[in-house]
Amino acid sequence: MLSPVKIWRNQKKIKSLLFLKGKIVSYTQIYVPPAGFEAQAPYIVAIAEFNKGLRIIAQLVDYLDVNLKIGQKVITVLRRTKDPGLEGIIPYGIKFKPLD
Amino acid sequence: MKVGILAGATSNFGELWHISPRQMVREVTDEVLKEARLPKSKIDAVFVGNMLSSSLGNQDHLGAFFAEELGLSVPSTKVEAACASGGLSVHLAALSILSGQYRHVLVIGVEKMTDYKPELVNRALMGAGSDGEREAGATFSALYALIARVHMAKYGTKEIELAQVAVKNHYHASLNSHAQFKKQITLKQVLKSPPVSSPLKILDCSPITDGAAALILSPSDNKSQVSIIASQVATDTLGLSQREDLTSLKASIIAATNAYRQAGITPLDIDVAEVHDCFTIAEIIAMEDLGFFPKGEAAKNIFAKKTWIGIGHPVVNTSGGLKAAGHPVGATGVKQIVEIFHQLNGTSGNKQVENARLGLTHNVGGSGATCVIHILKKN
Repeated sequence: MLSPVKIWRNQKKIKSLLFLKGKIVSYTQIYVPPAGFEAQAPYIVAIAEFNKGLRIIAQLVDYLDVNLKIGQKVITVLRRTKDPGLEGIIPYGIKFKPLD
Repeated sequence: MKVGILAGATSNFGELWHISPRQMVREVTDEVLKEARLPKSKIDAVFVGNMLSSSLGNQDHLGAFFAEELGLSVPSTKVEAACASGGLSVHLAALSILSGQYRHVLVIGVEKMTDYKPELVNRALMGAGSDGEREAGATFSALYALIARVHMAKYGTKEIELAQVAVKNHYHASLNSHAQFKKQITLKQVLKSPPVSSPLKILDCSPITDGAAALILSPSDNKSQVSIIASQVATDTLGLSQREDLTSLKASIIAATNAYRQAGITPLDIDVAEVHDCFTIAEIIAMEDLGFFPKGEAAKNIFAKKTWIGIGHPVVNTSGGLKAAGHPVGATGVKQIVEIFHQLNGTSGNKQVENARLGLTHNVGGSGATCVIHILKKN
């Protein structure tokens, strides 16, 4: 369930995770999504590794098929995540965009 | 440790729109009481393994819910550890016997999943994952697909080798009258089935299932033919991304190592095993984490039928596993014990493994954040 309080609390963390450069460790294309993501399917979810071994799981956006590989360089960007639903709060979060 | 198993039963697994969770639990409970020749009044406590009653069914307070249904007033506790809820409920029930407080403990595993559409079930199951995974729109098939992709890159595991796990488990399920899918399938059918989360296809995935299972545990000085001789649990990070190695589940390795030590045996001593094949890749990794095959070699060995009934040793997932017998998440860990109990008791019918004396169950919660291992022995 979306909670405005939880979104407000978690969005403070996003700033420190923005514009990091890293590499894809693994990825998958999701055809059967969970509730709240129906409009986006199919979409790519990847794990990428950044400095000091930091690993993040997020969607890959603005990609071409050639970018779908382990080792692909990515940068973290801010994007809308899931369907706002009836509450109307637009949740934002980190996604990956291919570099080069 | 030594805790006796007096009886074990499972309901039919499948899309059971006409049967309520209450009815499923009543049926399996009646069956175990009858098998153990035990009046209901002798039950001292109940443990209920279940994950989704709250998020899908809006029903909390599940211990009392089923105690009411069974007409009992004894302590009754819901145990939740995602898909390892059933295994963890057996673990806690066994410890409660060893405490000396209870003489007969009823363990129930139950899940009702097919009443709801897949998107809702997917979202509810992701309650077992991390915040980051939910925000990314990941599903459980996606998490295991991420694992599969790395295993394939690192060890050369092929899609056809993943497919063989499904073919084997459907073959085993064809011998199991309670299984959700009793139909055999071919490698070609698996490889041509629609993608769910690449590289995993629909026939690489365990289904959404309704089902229940029950056991009666008691001190091993009773008349039991089969005993639990090891019960171990380990945990790891909730999220996949925090783990250094995606090609094995650390919790499985820790729990298995501790269980072999507790039982005083090695992996080679196991005759029959029920492992957590929520996806085909999960069985391959389990074979390696449990020490049945060296790292990176399980896929080849499964492909060569080294774990098939009538051919291999140990025989793995005689029930058909989660893949083909079905995966009612909270019931799975209990069902695994029921299956091994029947194997060691010699009451497995068509799917009986000859001379089975030692068996193992491997029940995983989430993408490996909880692992429960039990080792059972024929007395």
